[in-house]
Amino acid sequence: MNPFKRKTAFLFLSMLLSAGMLAACGNNSTAPAAEGNNPSAAGEQAPSAAGEQVVNVYSARHYDVDAKLFEQFTASTGIKVNVIEGQANELIERIKREGENTPADLFITVDGGILDRAKQEGILQPVESDVVNGQVPEQYRDPDNQWIGLTTRARVIVYAKDRVNPTELSTYEDLASEKWKGKLLVRSSTHMYNQSLLASLIHLNGEQQAEAWAQGIVNNMAREPEGGDRDQAKAVVAGIGDVAIMNSYYVGQLANSADPEEVKVAEQIGVFFPNQETTGTHINISGVGLIKSSKNKENAVKLIEFLTGTEAQTTYSASNYEYPVNPNAEWPELLRSWGEFKHQQLDWSALGENNQKAVEIMNKVGWK
Amino acid sequence: MMLARLRRSIHRHTNGWVILSILTAAIVLLPLLAIAVSIFSAPNENWSHIRQYLLRDYVLQSVWLVLFTGAATAALGALLAWLIAAYDFPWKSLFRWALMLPLAVPPYIAAFTYGYMLSYTGVVQTTLRSWGWAANQAWFDIMSLPGAVFIFTMFLYPYVYLITRAFLERQSGSYIENARLLGRSSWSIFFRVVLPLSRPALVSGVTLVAFEVLSDYGVVNYYGIQTFTTAIFKTWFGMYDIDSATRLAAWFLLCIVSLILLERFLRRRRRFSATTGRLSPLAPQRLRGVTAALATLFCLAVLAVSFLVPVGQLLVWASWTFDDVAVTADFRLLTYNTVTVAVIATVLIMIFSVIVANTGRTLNNAFGIALAKAMTTGYSIPGAIIAIGVMSLFITLDELLLPLYRSLGWGEAPLVLSLSLVMLIVAYVIRFMATGYNAVESGFEKIGMKYTESSRLLGFGMTRTFFRVDLPLIRGSLLSGVILTFVEIVKELPLAMLLRPFNFDTLATKAYQYASDERIFSAAVPSLAIICVALASILLFHHLGKRVRS
Repeated sequence: MNPFKRKTAFLFLSMLLSAGMLAACGNNSTAPAAEGNNPSAAGEQAPSAAGEQVVNVYSARHYDVDAKLFEQFTASTGIKVNVIEGQANELIERIKREGENTPADLFITVDGGILDRAKQEGILQPVESDVVNGQVPEQYRDPDNQWIGLTTRARVIVYAKDRVNPTELSTYEDLASEKWKGKLLVRSSTHMYNQSLLASLIHLNGEQQAEAWAQGIVNNMAREPEGGDRDQAKAVVAGIGDVAIMNSYYVGQLANSADPEEVKVAEQIGVFFPNQETTGTHINISGVGLIKSSKNKENAVKLIEFLTGTEAQTTYSASNYEYPVNPNAEWPELLRSWGEFKHQQLDWSALGENNQKAVEIMNKVGWK
Repeated sequence: MMLARLRRSIHRHTNGWVILSILTAAIVLLPLLAIAVSIFSAPNENWSHIRQYLLRDYVLQSVWLVLFTGAATAALGALLAWLIAAYDFPWKSLFRWALMLPLAVPPYIAAFTYGYMLSYTGVVQTTLRSWGWAANQAWFDIMSLPGAVFIFTMFLYPYVYLITRAFLERQSGSYIENARLLGRSSWSIFFRVVLPLSRPALVSGVTLVAFEVLSDYGVVNYYGIQTFTTAIFKTWFGMYDIDSATRLAAWFLLCIVSLILLERFLRRRRRFSATTGRLSPLAPQRLRGVTAALATLFCLAVLAVSFLVPVGQLLVWASWTFDDVAVTADFRLLTYNTVTVAVIATVLIMIFSVIVANTGRTLNNAFGIALAKAMTTGYSIPGAIIAIGVMSLFITLDELLLPLYRSLGWGEAPLVLSLSLVMLIVAYVIRFMATGYNAVESGFEKIGMKYTESSRLLGFGMTRTFFRVDLPLIRGSLLSGVILTFVEIVKELPLAMLLRPFNFDTLATKAYQYASDERIFSAAVPSLAIICVALASILLFHHLGKRVRS
């Protein structure tokens, strides 16, 4: 029985301990701005009294380069960046539920549709900064400046160099035609990137044509959607299909992969920017919105100014193969090799408005 | 007269245990209640579209997934448990504990790992190509329903294996030995004695597996399988309709509860505990020659597929990316965070489970059963939905507590609870109560009521009986409950993603972020860290468990 008695004692000890920890955590959280090193001591100071400069970010971008840029910002301004990462829609839901009391100052995500959705939910306010306006061209900003673009990625067509002549390729619309039957690869409709692409086509071509297009895409699929964007590129090389719809920055990542086999995949595929003669290539925009009830508004604006600055923009592009929004930023060699391209000119709100329609159409035509 | 009877009945059944149980149940049920009431509100205009396009196929796919995985884990888990419990063969003592190692691997990590390994650039196909074989791509397509069944089976079977093995080792001695004496063949013993006898253990193991599968999002989303959970996410994040998403979740909840009640009803009159007081532990029979080799090979194959191969692959990837990843993430802090939250939540869950399970079995009436089952429904609900329920509850709580915060001079930060770890921990408790509870309950089922009743007859109160009689008897089950729960929480993803406070990352959130950004090589380092933490706890508790038994 003896060892067991010891265990019971241990159980109660851990109960006490956990109660203590819970209390400590509770305290700590009153000061999300406080340094994490000494939770109990920090908990006793009110954040404003401590006078520490912070900015609280809810982010749906989880790249190492983002963390690096936040660190650089703290190093140069002394303003600490607190981050909660999550999926975009979940973060919006959280901000809505936290209401007036939300600690969030900035919301960062990777899709124009979602940025517009945040705006429609009424959780954002205009960013007033001449610096930002000077650094980010109007086309990459919300018309009311409620969000500011950070980077873009193009939704391109990737093709097997040995089997497809790029002259056969033209538009997204053409991918729904008979000639690609059983040759097309694309990921599932649960992903934002496909929803936004279809939403843009609804806006440009009308709902009926968009539905016919989605039906054509489903008919032409080489296999049922599975995996992510990289998996589509690999399926092209493996010969499952000839062409795939995927995001440009994944091609960059494949080409610079730690796995030599992935580098080989990147070498065997070509990148084609569709709709150059017509409406332009669809792009995703990654951007940042200023939360309406932001309590560190000045710091938040400073961070936006920093992130859209030439230096940060060059860093974004160099490490992640995204396109910078700041025209002064440098492009990495790979992006330069693909060249400039014409992209869709549409009101970003069209993506948000048509998103639900897009999802409904995808459900209807059986785009898994 | 009636009133007096009622009062007497209330008086007889009301004690500290019942009140504590009701309080516990309230904590667990409040957020779920918020979901359940949505059935009674009027559906909006999206509902007919959802019913037409999302419900039918998605429900069917979920059903297939659960049925196949349930059958496969039951078969594999029971077979392994029986081999280990009833036979001796080379390396058996190693397999006895090593076969629970796959528990340490989160299924979504396994799904990404196998997905890559079998892909065109993966080690399997590149090796074949280097030998000059251009293999048919269809053979390697793991991203499908059968593939998902494979992943779930290989990485969730330990639930069934652990519970069934513990049961067989302690309970089945006389039955199996009698069957042997009567000249039954091994296979006949397995099908005619072992399987029927271990039904309660199998059911509780498979129930855990089924819930895990139903609320999974990582595996099915990456493999492109449409399940009920996918439908909820599509409705919520694609159509921005949280009301309909909640309504879907509510129907889901209803189905689960009815299934559980049905199972209860079916075995209502059977109490599976030994009828004699003398439990003879099973004496393993020695296998020889080919059968021994086959048994060893079989266990080895299972272990390789479900642990050695994927972990080996992750180690290779980690060696490619370790320098990059270790620079950007502080792994000591991530590990510390992960372990702290998991320990707190596990302790709470075990305490709550014991209270409610003990109350439930003592009452042994409809109320007790309802209470017990209500506690465990959290396991069947997708994490994201629980998160929304918990968040709403805490924000309301914070609003109610605002005067208190003001009087304490915290006026500037009124979201005290909702920004703390408390919210995440409560969510864990709701979500994983079933893991702890089922283990405790099966422990109680095993000992039956006789010891408790004797103790009560001899004049001990319920509390004293519990600490002096019941708790020592169920300590083995408690321990397995602790392992399962702790490891579950270390691997948990959606709740941590949604509810963690500022600057608080766990290993799982870090691993998933890399994996979902299609950077599986970078995900290898945090994935291995999760596996290490889980492994360490499994081994620690295995060691402790041995000491407790001896």
